Order: sequence, then structure tokens, then C-alpha cells
Amino acid sequence: MTTTTTRVTDLDFWARPFEEREEVFARLRAESPVSWHPPMEGGIMPSEREGIWIVTRHADIAEVSRDPERFCSGEGVQFEDVPDDLLEASHSFLAMDAPRHGLLRKLVSSAFTPRQVAKLEDQIRAQARAITDGLLEAGEGDFVDLVSRRLPMWTVYEMLGLDAAQQEHAAHLADRMVGFNDPAVIGDDEPGDVLNEALVGLLQIGLAFADERRSHPADDLMTNLVNAEVEGQRLSDDDIAAFFVLLSVAGNDTTRNTISLATHALGRHAEQKAWLAADFDTRIGTATEEFIRWATPVMTFRRTATRDTELAGQPIARGDWVGLMYASGNRDERVFDRPRELDLSRHPNPHQGFGGGGPHFCMGAFVAKMQIREITHQLLTRAPSLEVGEPVFQVGNFVRAVQQMPCRVR
Amino acid sequence: MPFRDADDVTTYIGGIFEAAFEDPELADKLRATGVVLQMRFHEPAADVVVDLINQSVHDSAEGLAVGATLAMSAETGNAYWQGKVNLPLAMAKGQVKVDGKVAGLLKLAPLSKRLYPTYVARLQADGRHDLVV
Repeated sequence: MTTTTTRVTDLDFWARPFEEREEVFARLRAESPVSWHPPMEGGIMPSEREGIWIVTRHADIAEVSRDPERFCSGEGVQFEDVPDDLLEASHSFLAMDAPRHGLLRKLVSSAFTPRQVAKLEDQIRAQARAITDGLLEAGEGDFVDLVSRRLPMWTVYEMLGLDAAQQEHAAHLADRMVGFNDPAVIGDDEPGDVLNEALVGLLQIGLAFADERRSHPADDLMTNLVNAEVEGQRLSDDDIAAFFVLLSVAGNDTTRNTISLATHALGRHAEQKAWLAADFDTRIGTATEEFIRWATPVMTFRRTATRDTELAGQPIARGDWVGLMYASGNRDERVFDRPRELDLSRHPNPHQGFGGGGPHFCMGAFVAKMQIREITHQLLTRAPSLEVGEPVFQVGNFVRAVQQMPCRVR
Repeated sequence: MPFRDADDVTTYIGGIFEAAFEDPELADKLRATGVVLQMRFHEPAADVVVDLINQSVHDSAEGLAVGATLAMSAETGNAYWQGKVNLPLAMAKGQVKVDGKVAGLLKLAPLSKRLYPTYVARLQADGRHDLVV
């Protein structure tokens, strides 16, 4: 069994800067692309595991992602042990395998009718404009608070049709769910209490909201979800509530952090910013992909081996946990030329920012890209003098979360 | 109402833990959670208090430092110990109310999973098919 002296499963490792972690990943990619580490530190219950395989090369991450029969999601996707019912109530189809995974995805996809998607584009454009108005009016403050936090929350909940008065509270609960390991988020509370309380709160909102739309349909995604029918199957209220939790977490945090980190990157790469602004419509496509590679908002997911197998020559036993390091895949020198440089014209850009491919590829990728495009356009054209300071990151292995980032418009 | 009376609840729900304490490996792990768990049932009303530290089952919390209390109908409790109730969803629906540290319950979660089959097996062995869900 391969062991390493650098444990990427220590909480301390995830408190280090991204660039320092990348040094470790670069070494692992070169010397030990599939390596064994002790169980992840932290978490809400004691781990019954001896450890986890850590996969650092792009090709191996893709291989695992694209072979769900060999590496399943149904036994959880986080690096920490989580009780089964908590997983079921919070991860929806993210932590499911075929055939139920496919069915639920199809049901949810069917709610995104062409009419909803067209409406969504107009909504996002108007929201990005309004948020930029607010930024210009404020002049300075916290970029996360003023901009990047607001757009995804607004987009996701407006798309669903959630009452505006509940949006802020729901987003706050989603933040607590992701930040349960970070003392800055939870204070003196126990991680398990924080996680469960936030989850139950989101489930309550989701259940009540689904119920409301069954009796009072509207022109929104939640109405489409409660009415969705595929192959004679429908979503139960429990299914919808769990999907509401998934969407609240996956839809809020990921795009928020990409927007923060993309804006930070543009602030530090004036020539790239000028290049993008010079021909925005033609260049935003490749730029968006590079922002996502650069940010890697979701840094990890996990799979479980369904049988004895091998990965990059390393034997893996049935039941072993396999951790996918997207942040490492996105800097893999075997795939990306000058991987540590921001290049908004990079093409092709097979980044793993939406996962490593396969059936769990991010379903909301098109929504995320729309938001990045619209907010970047607004900021470049209406706040070209925007300056941002250094981001403060949340400690954790899952989402690369920027908690604060000072900003000023001159 | 699945259970006949409070004694019936205590016999079967309490019995889950009495059986678990007989298994040395499981008993050690249960003790390590450091939890005194109180289950307050209604329909029929019954208290089942499990002291995982001292490995004893009681019908009242008197004199015990309860770490977490779960309140639910006996019917929900019966389904819960067969692995048929999702705790966070049941909490969101108000079917289960929790007082105290949920964190303690989460420590118990991986062990609870091992208790479900023995509970179902006991019900079947006693001919209590009415309780199997």
C-alpha cells in the first residue's frame, strides 16, 4: 500500500493557501497519483474507515467519474462519514446510482422547459444589472456581500419561485451546511448540530414550498417539479425537499465563489482583463471555462469502489473510498499547458470544474455560465475601475469558499 | 396503534438495546458514544431511556443525565428502529422532535444501522408481524 508523508486529509492542509496545496498535489501527481491517506479530520461522526485513496491526475479522475458501475456515488460523495438518512435528505441524486439517479435527473431536467430557460436568461441579465447598480451605489464594501453572494442566491430562488422574503434565510442555511467544519462559520456550536439544524430548516422550506405550489401553481420551476412526470413516475415531496437542499447548496456556493475568484483574477491580470473587454461577446466563452478551471469551486468529491479493481496500477479493494481532487486535475501539467497561468483564451479547456464527466456532470452548468457571463459583462462595462483586495477563505475540503473580499469602485 | 401498551413499547424498543449490550463489540461502541438517550413516545405514552454509558434501559429519566431526547409516536418509533424513517425529514415534518444534542445522535447513527436487523428479527421471532413495516 502506498503511503505519503503529506496527509491531505488533515484539516490543517485545507487551511493552507490554494497554491501551497497545489505544491503537494503536483508532487502526488508526479510520484504517487493514487495515494492512501488517513480518514478526513473533522466531520460530524467518528469515521469507521482506515483511510481513503486520493486521486490527483486528470485522467484518473475522469476514469473514476465516467465509470459509475465500478465507482459508485450511492455510498456518499463527501470525504467525511455522514449518516445515511442525512445523505439521502441532503444530496438528492448527487449521491445516487442508476437507475434511480437517472430517473430523478430526468424528472428534474423535464422541469427546465425551453420556456423556463428563456425566462431564466432574462432574469439573470436583470439581476446582474440590479446588483451592479447596488455596487456602484455602495462604492465600496465586501464584494461577496455586495455582488457574488447575491446573484446565485437570487438566480436559484427566483428560478424556483421561492418567496423573496425567504431567500436570504434559505441561503444562510445553505452556507451553514457547507461551513460546518469552519469555526468562523459555526462559532461554539457542534458541527453535527449546525449541519442538522441547517438541513432540517432547508427541508422545512422545501416541503412547505412544494406543498404551496401543488395548491397554487405558478410559472416557475417548483411548479414544474411538482408536476413533473417521466415514465409514469413523479417526484415525491421528500424527493423535492432533498433536491431543494441540493440546489440551495450546489447552486449558491459554487457560482458565488467562481464569481469572486474570477473577479479577483481579472483584478490581478490587467492584460487579460483588457483582452476580454476588447471583444467580450467572442471571448467570454473561453474566458468562462478558464474562470471555472482557475477557481475550481468544488475541490473534491468521493466515490466508493463497487468491486476489487485497479486505478493507475494501484489495486483498490471493493468498498474502498476514492477521493477525487478536482483542484489537482485542473492543474495537471499532462493536460494543461502552463497550468498555473490564467489564460482566458485557453482552448480546448477540459477542466473538471463541473466534475470529471460521466453521469454526475453538473446539471446546472449552463445556469452557472449564464451568471458568470452576465455579471462579468456588467462589471467590465459599468465598473471598469473595480478593485478587489485579498479573499478570506473558509476552511474545508469541499467548496473553495471565499467568505469576504474587500472591494472599491473608484 | 401498533403497540398494545407502554410495556409492549418498553419490551421491544428497550429490548433492542438490551440485545445490543449482549454483543461485546457493539456494547463497547455504544458506550463510547457517551450518550443517555431518552425516547418519549405517545400513542401509547411510554418513556424508554437508554443509558449507553452504563448499558441499562429505564422507563423514566429520573436520576439520569439525558443527553438527547427524541419525541415521536410509538408508530414512528417502531418504523425508525427498522430503518424506515429518515430522521432529518421526520424532524422537518414535525414527526420527530429532538431536544438536546443532535450531535450525540449522529454519533449513534452508524451503530443504529446495525440494530435494525436484530429488531426486525426479534419481532418476527415473537410472531409480531403486525409491527414489521
